[in-house]
Amino acid sequence: MRKFMMTTLVCWAAASVYAQDYSNAAEQANRLNALNKAYPQLTTLKSVTKTNGGKDIWLLTIGTGKTETKPAIAVIGGVEGNHLLGTELAIGFAEQLLKGAASDSIRALLNKTTYYVFPNMSPDAMEQYFSKLRADRTGNATSTDDDRDGKQNEDGWDDLDGNGKITFLRVESLTGDYKLHPDDARVLIKADFSKGEKGKYKLLTEGIDNDKDGDFNEDGEGGIAFNKNLTYNHKTFAAGAGEFPASEKETRAMLDFLYDAFNVYAVVSFGTHNNLSSPIAYNPQAAAQRIVAGLLEPDAKVNSMVSDLYNKVTAAKDAPRSTSAGGDVLAWGYFHYGRYSFSTPGWWVPKAKPDTAKKEKAFTVEDPIANYLRWAAQQGISNTFTEWKTIQHPDFPGQKVEVGGIDPYVLNNPPYKMVEPVVKKHTEFLVKLAAQQPEIDIINLKTEKLANGLTRISLEVVNKGGMSTHSKLGERNYFLKKVKVALQTNGKQEVIGGKKIHLLNSIDANGASSFSWVVKGTGKLTIEAGCPTAGIKTMEVNL
Amino acid sequence: MKGMKADIKKPKHMKQFILKIFTSILVLSSGMYVQAQQPNQVFKAAGSPVNPKVTVTWNRYYDHAGISEICKKIAAAYPDLAKLQSIGKSYEGRDLWCLTITDFKKGNADTKPGMYIDGNIHSNEIQGAEFALYTAWYLTESFGDTKFIQELLEDKVFYIVPTINPDARDSYMHKPNTGSSPRSGVIPVDNDGDGLVNEDSYDDINKDGHITMMRRKNPNGRWKVDPKDPRNMIQVGPDEKGDYELLGIEGIDNDGDGRVNEDGYTFEYDPNRDWGWGWQPNYIQNGAYKYPFSLPENRAVMEFVMKHPNIAAAQSFHNAGGMILRGPGGQEDVGTYNAQDIAVYDAIAKKGEELIPGYKYLVVYKDLYSAYGGELDWFYAGRGIYTYSNELWTPFLMYMRDATRDPFDNASFSFDRYLLFQDAFVPWAEYDHPQYGKIEVGGMKKNFGRAHPGFLLESDAHRNMAFSIYHGFHTPKLEVFEITEKDLGDGLKEVTAVITNSRLMPTHSSQDVKNKIERPDYITLTTSGKIISGMVVENRDLNLSTEQEQNPATIEVANIPGLGSVTVKWIVQGGGKYTVSVDSKKGGTVSASK
Repeated sequence: MRKFMMTTLVCWAAASVYAQDYSNAAEQANRLNALNKAYPQLTTLKSVTKTNGGKDIWLLTIGTGKTETKPAIAVIGGVEGNHLLGTELAIGFAEQLLKGAASDSIRALLNKTTYYVFPNMSPDAMEQYFSKLRADRTGNATSTDDDRDGKQNEDGWDDLDGNGKITFLRVESLTGDYKLHPDDARVLIKADFSKGEKGKYKLLTEGIDNDKDGDFNEDGEGGIAFNKNLTYNHKTFAAGAGEFPASEKETRAMLDFLYDAFNVYAVVSFGTHNNLSSPIAYNPQAAAQRIVAGLLEPDAKVNSMVSDLYNKVTAAKDAPRSTSAGGDVLAWGYFHYGRYSFSTPGWWVPKAKPDTAKKEKAFTVEDPIANYLRWAAQQGISNTFTEWKTIQHPDFPGQKVEVGGIDPYVLNNPPYKMVEPVVKKHTEFLVKLAAQQPEIDIINLKTEKLANGLTRISLEVVNKGGMSTHSKLGERNYFLKKVKVALQTNGKQEVIGGKKIHLLNSIDANGASSFSWVVKGTGKLTIEAGCPTAGIKTMEVNL
Repeated sequence: MKGMKADIKKPKHMKQFILKIFTSILVLSSGMYVQAQQPNQVFKAAGSPVNPKVTVTWNRYYDHAGISEICKKIAAAYPDLAKLQSIGKSYEGRDLWCLTITDFKKGNADTKPGMYIDGNIHSNEIQGAEFALYTAWYLTESFGDTKFIQELLEDKVFYIVPTINPDARDSYMHKPNTGSSPRSGVIPVDNDGDGLVNEDSYDDINKDGHITMMRRKNPNGRWKVDPKDPRNMIQVGPDEKGDYELLGIEGIDNDGDGRVNEDGYTFEYDPNRDWGWGWQPNYIQNGAYKYPFSLPENRAVMEFVMKHPNIAAAQSFHNAGGMILRGPGGQEDVGTYNAQDIAVYDAIAKKGEELIPGYKYLVVYKDLYSAYGGELDWFYAGRGIYTYSNELWTPFLMYMRDATRDPFDNASFSFDRYLLFQDAFVPWAEYDHPQYGKIEVGGMKKNFGRAHPGFLLESDAHRNMAFSIYHGFHTPKLEVFEITEKDLGDGLKEVTAVITNSRLMPTHSSQDVKNKIERPDYITLTTSGKIISGMVVENRDLNLSTEQEQNPATIEVANIPGLGSVTVKWIVQGGGKYTVSVDSKKGGTVSASK
């Protein structure tokens, strides 16, 4: 057994050393299986469903003993199919965490916390990166009519320059709304008509208007995007959203599991949305709406506290702002699941400083692509930009059309060699987040004899954690259990005063609640206090 | 849960009972023993099948097994008019039966404009199943005699799913319940959030299968026996002394948490808050489950509807109150219903008010209450299908005048007394309650107040069916009304076709057009000549048209309006004979040649 363990560990270590690029679905499965084999006591791995593309949706549970009885964090990667890093962060977190499983601190952590890791919610879409044609794809393998014209997949991308990547077309046009970036002529930026600027180019994704409807690549392969398919603020009928919320198997498989996982107190997802670099501000109007549209005040405070923790751990600056477009997992986790919900892209292109040796100056117009190109050059990253090249395009006879532009994936996925430190920081964050988890304890237990066989029992139930046992919004949700304080008598006792069962909506961080009972009789009785999100504590009392 | 033992026996007994009834029906319909069923001894009452092949007694209710039997018999008796399929299984594995009713000898069933009907989404609202089933029965049994039905079934298809909540239907009938329970399905839910499931349900203290009321003698009570009807309890006035207190619905505190009946099988969730339009979670919309279509029964209906884009109209049967309801369910959706669609809804529902006395045409969010994730909202806003929910039974039907639904209203008591001979009431009787001591249990039975009394069931089923038929009749009926050829010279011909729709509903509701839910209608010209160009004609007189450059042989039109027409034309080189075919998902297929 030990030898076997050693071999798998070595193999796995070797694999991680030599990995040069992100893992495709098969490699993701191998890494998850290797972890499960190496740590059979600490992990369980199961496929919760298969997508329409035939890919497994994996769930790796990390924890000890009865994992369903420990407060849990759900970690979700592959929220967007073009965000390879998200899956890498989720699997990398599991690998890093388990590597330290022998240490006292991680052992103690896994004794009281469970992690449910869904490494990749978009395996159909993510496989596009590893296919012959690299293109920015978030939709799964469900066949859809994105432009709702009655035909499916009739106008997808076309690799006009045959370089295996879908980039862009720029078309010289008097009615164009793009112009060249003043500091980097490779980059196109929007002309500001309000300032009297004129556009020179139309900017399109690389392709042909195959169905001649005037739109380019509006209905190609790629169906429903996971991060548009969830139930909060779902944009029904929008391309990629689905005909109704949770229409997709992978969405439902995750929801089915999580709704029954009453122990989950926080959801951390890796995707474009970001409420960790800067927290979502409390907006009283939005929070008071009938269809709640903003964080309730105590929950905004928790977001702020966790955001501080995130920034301290990752020391990442200059995060791009994000807004929820509807149907996303960040919003679902809070508004519908009722848990603390956090999301981060994990990485973004750092702000590149002008290289004075090359006589560069600060950009006169801030633009993410111009910044990327400057940063990439400084990092020695090449071959991520295709120089503009004139082609003959059937839809624009007699017009100058060029193919070129930035590669797909590069703006939100770092080169693989930069991934490891990002994984380490996010692992540390997920460990430190668990240190804040709600934790119930029973203190100041007292028994006072009142008279013949009559005893008063009193105690306090406290939450020792850094977060309330329930998000404020979660208190309203019946997919969360209440805090239960129950006195369990046996045949020899009778409760004369007090309620046998108390149900509380929540106990705040560092909060306490007092209880007392008057009991007649003798012998042992049990007091149980807690809830799945904060753990259940039992104490025995001898009368 | 006390009282389970008695209940377990009941369904078995009931099943045997129903089986016996069916055996006797078989014997009856073969005319072997009972003379009154012989064709030469019966005389047709107008508008009803005189000698039906499938004999059904329409003054009682059927459990799921009973409904299954009737469905199977209809399908067996009328193979050319009825096909039975299971569209899915309930949570406990019961089949969700769907009868497809159409003239299968004429045309393709699944391309005819379709009318979908279901009942019993709320399990205690039982008569929807009988009403839906009556529709299937009536259409098949009347086909032979009635020209209107023959024409209707040539043009249209009816998809009839009598119960979309069979588990809890059986639970309602065979387990102790009130008239209002269970509203839910049977997937267990922890209502009070204490970590235990269904640990404190109703308790049938008097073991009669009905959950009624508990009262206790109390010199300080605020209730007294109604002098006009001793079965009724009334509140005493401010200067009066009462002699009873009411202790609520029959039950005990099973889990010792100081609450009675707070977590049982009777309300797990609301299946009519589970649909994929405007869905909201349970803290906003009480009754919502995990996500839209998280209940298997609704999921099966959704999948069936998605596979049948020919469904243009739908009806769901609820109870009670005598209402013909349309959406929106939520204030936020007011904008989804525009004037054109409302005009269609109004025209059909106003006819319904006429056909079903005592029923009022109302709008859910403003006349009833705001509800998100309802079935009719998904059908209309999510799929563009004109849909009503009827709240069956109204106390109006007791004396054919306005009355109330209040079970303590004397109209109910007098109706029970003089027309039902007190069959709807469990007389008060004394019992020992583990927490309350000596109490009395009694009150209206679960089959009164919401469910029709037997003798009124068939007539109201017929009226509601007539409304559904009117509704289904007004799904689009397309015709290639005109094909005209005009010589343009130089060997070119202009071929103009007019496609009419002679019914109220357009091929695409405006919600459908706005969101492009269903594909456009295709109007195709087939000719031996070469089609040079094709166009939609906006105004034939003033010669305004819009060319469709791609694929001119098949003109795509966004909609063919109700009681209206569209005109298209082609420029053709050579050729002579023209065939124009129309292919519309909700309007059906037609073609004509010239």
